Amino acid sequence: MKHTITKKEVLNGADFLIDIVAPGVAKRFVPGNFCVLITIPNGERIPMSIQKVEGDIITLFFKKLGKTSYELDTWKVGDEIYKVIGPMGTPPPIKKYGTVVFASDLVCGHAENWAMCDILRKIPGNHLISIESFPTEADVYPDSELCESVADEFILATEDGSRGVKGHYLDVLEKLLKERKIDQVFAGGAIPPLQKISELTKKYNVPVYTTVRQIMVDATGMCGSCRVFIDGEQKLACIDGPMFDGQKVDWEVAISRLTMFKTKEAVAMDCLNAKMKGVK
Amino acid sequence: MAIEKQVPMREQDPKVRITNFDSVPLGYSAEEAVKEAKRCIQCKVPTCETGCPVRMDIKDIIQLIADEKFDEAFFLSKKDNAVPAITGRVCPQEDQCEGKCVLDKTGQPINIGKLFAFVADLARKKDLVEEIKIKENGKKIAIVGCGPAGITCAVDLRKLGYGVSIFEALHMAGGVLQYGIPAFRLPRDVVDYELSFLEKIGVDVQLNQIVGQNIGFDELQKDYDGIYIATGAGAPRFLNCAGEKLKGVYSANEFLIRVNLMKAYKFPDWDTPIICGDNVGVIGCGNVALDAARCAKRLGANSVRIFYRRTKEQAPAREEELEHAEEEDISCEKMLSPTKIIGNNEGWITGIELVTTKFVGIDKSGRPKPINVDGLKFEVRLDTLIIALGTTPNRLFLSNVEGLETHSWGGIKADEHFMTNIPGVFTGGDALTGGSTVIEAMGNGRDAAEALDNYINK
Repeated sequence: MKHTITKKEVLNGADFLIDIVAPGVAKRFVPGNFCVLITIPNGERIPMSIQKVEGDIITLFFKKLGKTSYELDTWKVGDEIYKVIGPMGTPPPIKKYGTVVFASDLVCGHAENWAMCDILRKIPGNHLISIESFPTEADVYPDSELCESVADEFILATEDGSRGVKGHYLDVLEKLLKERKIDQVFAGGAIPPLQKISELTKKYNVPVYTTVRQIMVDATGMCGSCRVFIDGEQKLACIDGPMFDGQKVDWEVAISRLTMFKTKEAVAMDCLNAKMKGVK
Repeated sequence: MAIEKQVPMREQDPKVRITNFDSVPLGYSAEEAVKEAKRCIQCKVPTCETGCPVRMDIKDIIQLIADEKFDEAFFLSKKDNAVPAITGRVCPQEDQCEGKCVLDKTGQPINIGKLFAFVADLARKKDLVEEIKIKENGKKIAIVGCGPAGITCAVDLRKLGYGVSIFEALHMAGGVLQYGIPAFRLPRDVVDYELSFLEKIGVDVQLNQIVGQNIGFDELQKDYDGIYIATGAGAPRFLNCAGEKLKGVYSANEFLIRVNLMKAYKFPDWDTPIICGDNVGVIGCGNVALDAARCAKRLGANSVRIFYRRTKEQAPAREEELEHAEEEDISCEKMLSPTKIIGNNEGWITGIELVTTKFVGIDKSGRPKPINVDGLKFEVRLDTLIIALGTTPNRLFLSNVEGLETHSWGGIKADEHFMTNIPGVFTGGDALTGGSTVIEAMGNGRDAAEALDNYINK
């Protein structure tokens, strides 16, 4: 199977989008699932959120963060990804919730926001409000990739107020929770705000599904690296999640465990930089 | 008559080998192999063969080696064993063929494992392939999982003329041979070569196929005449004690998958990292625990200590591995059980609290039962902890098969013919037994192939 890149697009200074041929993943994908990418034979197995599926093609959002994503940023249309595996994970129920908010503030979260709004909006009785927040105007994605077209209501926020509403999604959501009846919240993106959104929704007695991003190796339930603690019980983000009831997640542990390989990630980046300099 | 001693196996020096992942045993030369084979007294009733889960013709193979008919010896071993170069290295021979060897009473059994590895290695170097004529029977079998049980079942069924497809979840075939057993015990060129046999005989191996995720079990049921579930026991067991969430605490599975499947020991040339501190503790004393401990040593750990709640004599690990670990300066500290893992403010492990155990009565396995002795607690400083308490069947696959009956511990239920409660769906290997050796899983695969054939032709 050739996993060819069919499209690559800049989203902002750090984020980019690629379309990949992956019929196996595309055929059975449900929002809430993720896929596993091995970009090169020597590569890691990295879990990735999927924004959308069209025919055999899946769309993924990347942020230039570590070795793999920086390297991938240099790839072009026509290049081939070594392996694309999945869909993996257990999605939350795709059903009628009522008024639903999906809030996101980071690359993977924005992809999940799109996918979930797109499917839930098609279920009668659901009303989808999508909030996407970015640090500043320059970071905002192109209009075509914002969730405006897949949600019933769309709120764009920037933390400095340079475009859209001023504030983080947490500020926007709190206002919504105060003013309107919200039945279900979903959130994805940076982990610390997910802890806060869990506290916030608890205060307003609204349930929340959060994507608990963790370090995975095989992503099939074999290694236990992505163990998270839900109401004290050990679960695996790769097969039980990665979306969990945020109000039950032990966030301190989730935040701490994400940093385990920070020193190694820096080494990998240094090596890549040295290699790229050599190429020039 | 004095019994000649075993021809010793040349090995990498312990001081050197802890700096690499190359094979520890260097293998017999042809002369050494012939000399060792000639020690065999060719018993009228070869008790060694009764100890073999795949029922190899051990006596005749040894005679062929003694007669320097190495090619014939290889073909005869391949008759019953799809991967003799692998089993020659990883079988617990002391409990099987060598344990049943008449000469074992003298302490000097024939070194059957090493002899068979020699024959298979030689065949590999010569690229010797036995001719197999396959008469297609038009029937199709799907096998879920490309580990020892699945591989063996696939080969046997293919030889009977079935079209066989194996669906493997990972990006490499081999199961535990790939992700679990380290290269210093089982070199990867050996694994790759042995598995290339599948392709040679026309078994269709499909990687990255996670049945239930990207391909439905119902699709397999529709498209195949029979299914064999050999998904193994891939899910790690944890201690369930405080501190298990700390950074620096690994399941043995994670540690070994990073090192073996993802080649973390070659980081940063390979992308997957591993962090292994100076002071490493390992809980458990099976083969997996020893593999992890010896990997840690090779990753540069200063001190590697195995903590075991029983005594070394009761440890499930192979004798050879225990000896090798000891030579590599890995300590095995008996009658100790962990009570909690201690960490710092940054969420990293700093140590472990252990309690002394004592034996009271007998447990379900028939061994003395260790219980914690209150009050006899102490702490050990650690940077890395590896938990090797065994594994359970992976619930990912099981949760995706509607109506498949399982035991409360996660194993799949099957009748005496290895058929599950779903007609035409068979199972074996660790998915059935919960955890055994490579060769036992292979024996299981053979039996299931026979049962599947009988079922389809009834």
